[in-house]
Amino acid sequence: MATDPKVVLVTGASGGVGRGIAIACGQAGWTVWIAARREAQAAEVAAEVDAVGGSGRAIVCDVADVASVAQAVAAVVECDGRLDGVVHNATSGLSPRPTDLADVAFADVGDHVAVSLRGTYLLAVTAHPHLRATGGAYVVLTSEAGFEGKSRLPIYAAVKGAQRGVARSLAREWGPDGIRVNCIAPLASTPAMEQAFAHDPAMSARVLGRNPSGRLGDAVDDIGPVVRFLLSDDAAYVNGLTLMADGGACPIT
Amino acid sequence: MTETLFLGSGQHEVRELEGALGAELVAVPGGADHALDWSWSGPLESWRASVESGPKVDRVVVAPWGGAPVQAPLVELDLDAWLARSELALARWVAALGVAKVRCADGGAIVAVVDRPAPLDCAGWAPESGIADAVEALVRSLARSEGPRGVRVNAVTTPARLARRPVVDPPPPLASFPGTVGHDVLGAVRLLLSPDAAGLTGTVLHADGGRSW
Repeated sequence: MATDPKVVLVTGASGGVGRGIAIACGQAGWTVWIAARREAQAAEVAAEVDAVGGSGRAIVCDVADVASVAQAVAAVVECDGRLDGVVHNATSGLSPRPTDLADVAFADVGDHVAVSLRGTYLLAVTAHPHLRATGGAYVVLTSEAGFEGKSRLPIYAAVKGAQRGVARSLAREWGPDGIRVNCIAPLASTPAMEQAFAHDPAMSARVLGRNPSGRLGDAVDDIGPVVRFLLSDDAAYVNGLTLMADGGACPIT
Repeated sequence: MTETLFLGSGQHEVRELEGALGAELVAVPGGADHALDWSWSGPLESWRASVESGPKVDRVVVAPWGGAPVQAPLVELDLDAWLARSELALARWVAALGVAKVRCADGGAIVAVVDRPAPLDCAGWAPESGIADAVEALVRSLARSEGPRGVRVNAVTTPARLARRPVVDPPPPLASFPGTVGHDVLGAVRLLLSPDAAGLTGTVLHADGGRSW
């Protein structure tokens, strides 16, 4: 396990994969800022980070809002004096809802874009000077959907693809600054995945049928440590990568 | 029946492609206002509904390109520039590909043509890299959803508007890099629209002289 002490900010960490990332980072003794819109749940996860040996701090943050992102990043630096890593995990609450490209409401498209894509931009421009100061890392949560598309989730697929493209450019722009930028495409059992299965009863068979590991990943044990690796000094020479943490399910990378 | 519908823009490269294909051009609306709340998207949504009601066609080409962007590091892009090059651009693609889905007849073909910097050259083009990957995901989403009715959906990417000299070493395999819309992109689009590509769907052809591998 990487033990180099870090101060990291994880968005959308009040549940699901984000919670798993936060706890995994806490297990390494890191300081983890749980940035989420849901204050009470964020505080609960911060307490879980404390319980596993890290230092959990909760902060309310809307990643689509310029002032909110600026406030969150400033709070980290003011309190802990540094920022070693940012993980953009937050995604729209509409992510598991099936849509048709021919009639999807643009208000819904805007919500997907604001959380996933604008959030990627706002966190990047806000955190950049602090990550440059520490030689830090930026990790963006994408998805197999961003590679291969989804017939019933085309907007989710589009924003996940877009995040990967932005990260690819950032890795080249920030390399000279000593900042690494990577993506991870996880497949995990989460409340969002359960909702997606509920919307599409055949989805479970499709998702698991092609997975040679035969199961969904666990957010804490399977996904969190992979993100922790990308944030850590063990990954000092890993840059511009999308790491698939999906049990081998996605046929293209 | 009009055989080829071209959902594009007034950009001269787009007009060149449309003219060479003998297609009917329908311009995807742009917009000068890029508010954070997407209040500008109402006309785009209305446009989509209006154009979707047109007749079916055998082939649809989609290239709703905006003006040629300026290379700049992401941290130097202000919010307005980000909104125009990323959020508005993606909204126009969503609208255009939605129309393409409805207007394309059973057994037909859809080809999206998108700006894309090669990975080696993508510094300074973060919004465009993002849009290119988003379009790839949208194309594959449509390839999945429309495949059962025999519709093929593919994409062609081009760095023609984005490449700058000198390029990062090593040089591209073909000296013709970054290629032209009127020749290199046109050839790839014709291939993907033709019966010769009957077995291709969800494929992305990089018309970039071998720069992307």
